[in-house]
Amino acid sequence: MNILPFIISGLGIGAVYALSGVGLVVLFRATGVLNFAFGAFGAIGAHCAWQLLEWKVPLAVAILAAVAVSTASSFAYGRIFAPMLSHRDTVVRAVGTLAPALILIGIMGVIWGELPRRLQLPTDQMFVSLFAVRLTFTRIIAIILAVAMVVAITLLLNRTRLGLDMRALANDRDLSAVLGVRILYTETAAWIITGIFSGFAGLLLADLVRLQGTFLTLLVIPAIAAAILGQLQSLWQTAAAGILIGIAEAALTPIAWISPYRAASPFIIALVAVTILGGTAKVALKDR
Amino acid sequence: MPIDLRGLAIGLFLTLISAFSAHAAASCGDNTGKPATGEPIVIGAITGKTGPDDFSNSTKAAKAYFDCLNANGGINGRPVKYLVEDDQWNPEIAAQLAAKLVNDEKAVLMVGNSSFVECGANADFYKKAGILVLAGVGVPRECYFAENYAPANAGPRVSMLGAMGYALDKLNAKSVVCIGPNIPNVGTWSCDGVMLLAKEKGFAAQTILMDPGSADATSIILQAASSKPDVIVLGLPKGVTVPLLTAAEEQGLNQSITFLSAASAYDLSVPSTIGAGWAGKFYVNMEFNDLNAQTPDNQNWLAVMDQYGQKSDPRDTFAQAGYLAARIAEKALMTLDPAKINRETVSAAVRQIKDFKSDIFCAPWYFGDGQPRHNANSTTRMAVAEGGKWKVVSDCAPSPDPELKDIRAFEKSAGIN
Repeated sequence: MNILPFIISGLGIGAVYALSGVGLVVLFRATGVLNFAFGAFGAIGAHCAWQLLEWKVPLAVAILAAVAVSTASSFAYGRIFAPMLSHRDTVVRAVGTLAPALILIGIMGVIWGELPRRLQLPTDQMFVSLFAVRLTFTRIIAIILAVAMVVAITLLLNRTRLGLDMRALANDRDLSAVLGVRILYTETAAWIITGIFSGFAGLLLADLVRLQGTFLTLLVIPAIAAAILGQLQSLWQTAAAGILIGIAEAALTPIAWISPYRAASPFIIALVAVTILGGTAKVALKDR
Repeated sequence: MPIDLRGLAIGLFLTLISAFSAHAAASCGDNTGKPATGEPIVIGAITGKTGPDDFSNSTKAAKAYFDCLNANGGINGRPVKYLVEDDQWNPEIAAQLAAKLVNDEKAVLMVGNSSFVECGANADFYKKAGILVLAGVGVPRECYFAENYAPANAGPRVSMLGAMGYALDKLNAKSVVCIGPNIPNVGTWSCDGVMLLAKEKGFAAQTILMDPGSADATSIILQAASSKPDVIVLGLPKGVTVPLLTAAEEQGLNQSITFLSAASAYDLSVPSTIGAGWAGKFYVNMEFNDLNAQTPDNQNWLAVMDQYGQKSDPRDTFAQAGYLAARIAEKALMTLDPAKINRETVSAAVRQIKDFKSDIFCAPWYFGDGQPRHNANSTTRMAVAEGGKWKVVSDCAPSPDPELKDIRAFEKSAGIN
């Protein structure tokens, strides 16, 4: 049994899981919110891109519009509703993000319905062959983008005032406020950053997986599994975990008895990780 | 705001023209043009509207037909009171709704049912209650293996094997991979049929069951292609079929392998969605006639939908199925004395249906009196994606499903088809 083609196949989706997971961790580190609407923010942007492409708008404009719509959705929730929940439990703040997710699923259902659609990028037609598998340029872009975004966020956190504020917030929200950290500004910036991540992740997932609102919204779950493997702290661990989850899911395909159930692998991996890592939640939620 | 009288007049004129043209075409019951006013005949239906997918197009079309019938004299003067309930894809709710319709509402017949869960949940109850079901769309095995349940459609297994028969006869397929969903009594049941046919006819076959919620279509396609089959037969919802075809095209497999599907992918939007790369490379089985067929009954279905349905009601195979179920029910009820319509007389009349003819079916539909199961629709056509549309490429052909032996034997003994 040759498993190499499946590893190559899993790389692309793994990279998008990584991108999504990092987007989740960035927000969690700055605001303490686990964003269940991440997939929905991405999905609405991807649907807008598809619509614009149907109207023969240039690809670059459609991509920018998609990221702009996702970012605007994330910003709107982060600026209007998230501050109202900022002093509630972590669980309440996470559950609060289900509201925009469900509203966006409804909006996408009303506007675009449930008919299957296909979002195509020119890079889908370009590829390199590895182990008898075509690795399309879209997948290569997903991998490069995931790495580039992690590098950019790492630099932002370590080299900028905003990054410093974010790290301060991550350690102690109240103490940061006393020390003069602009809480609302910093948290809103984090929502914008996660919105940009969701825009790119949504576009790539819509291309690599399928353009369907509910489905893309639920793809936040493997990303949460990756974020948990990164202990909701480490961007690089989260990125690596996302890629590994994608590869693990693909690599189980040739094993006939487990293949029909391989979609459960992110949950099982996360469950095992939580059990082994144990202190994840305590570490991540320290001083909140 | 000032009213533009000229615009209003033009609008009214156009509306009248469109209404008149639609009215002229719809034909129902005795075509009296007079509304039925007698005591209503209660007919029930259970459909899966809310849940993972909306299956209610069948009952929407049946309702449109019954509304048309009621506006044209009904059943010898008596209107049909059509009660539709949503089981929400939940077997417990399906059972409660069946009890409500059959016991409380005193339905005499169930028509147009279309659900993933209610066949299994209610088949025994319907038998005990002595009520028959003229279903629109059956999906899992239970819909085709119940004494009182007779769907209008062929079902995923018979449809998939219809596609397989075409692959063997017209595409000279010598090896196949069957991809189905890992849903009990759906995916395994369908692909087991392909495996059984392979054993009988001596061609190579392999089954892959997949989680329809899986994000990774490429790996499934790579796994299917690894045995180098001539054809790959899919038995999945269209929302899962399109990503699989996209992944296959990405890997260049549309150039080397022919893909076929059960009727679940027969949707007018699919050929343009999958794109030019699949022209002449993707075949689907059609449980019914072409949705745009210019034949009289198909045109009547469209006219009924235009005149009595909602504009937003899809004109798809599910709607064809619901329309046919309502027409079959009408045929049975019309044979009865309107004063003596009850569950017993209706059931007896439905059991006698032997030659319901419609150009939407390939062969006359029958109930199958005394039979422990029903699968009257098992002769189907094929279409291929071409130029962003479906092109019908075959005449009606019987599905080679080995499991239909008892059905074929009954048809022979009863002189049907």
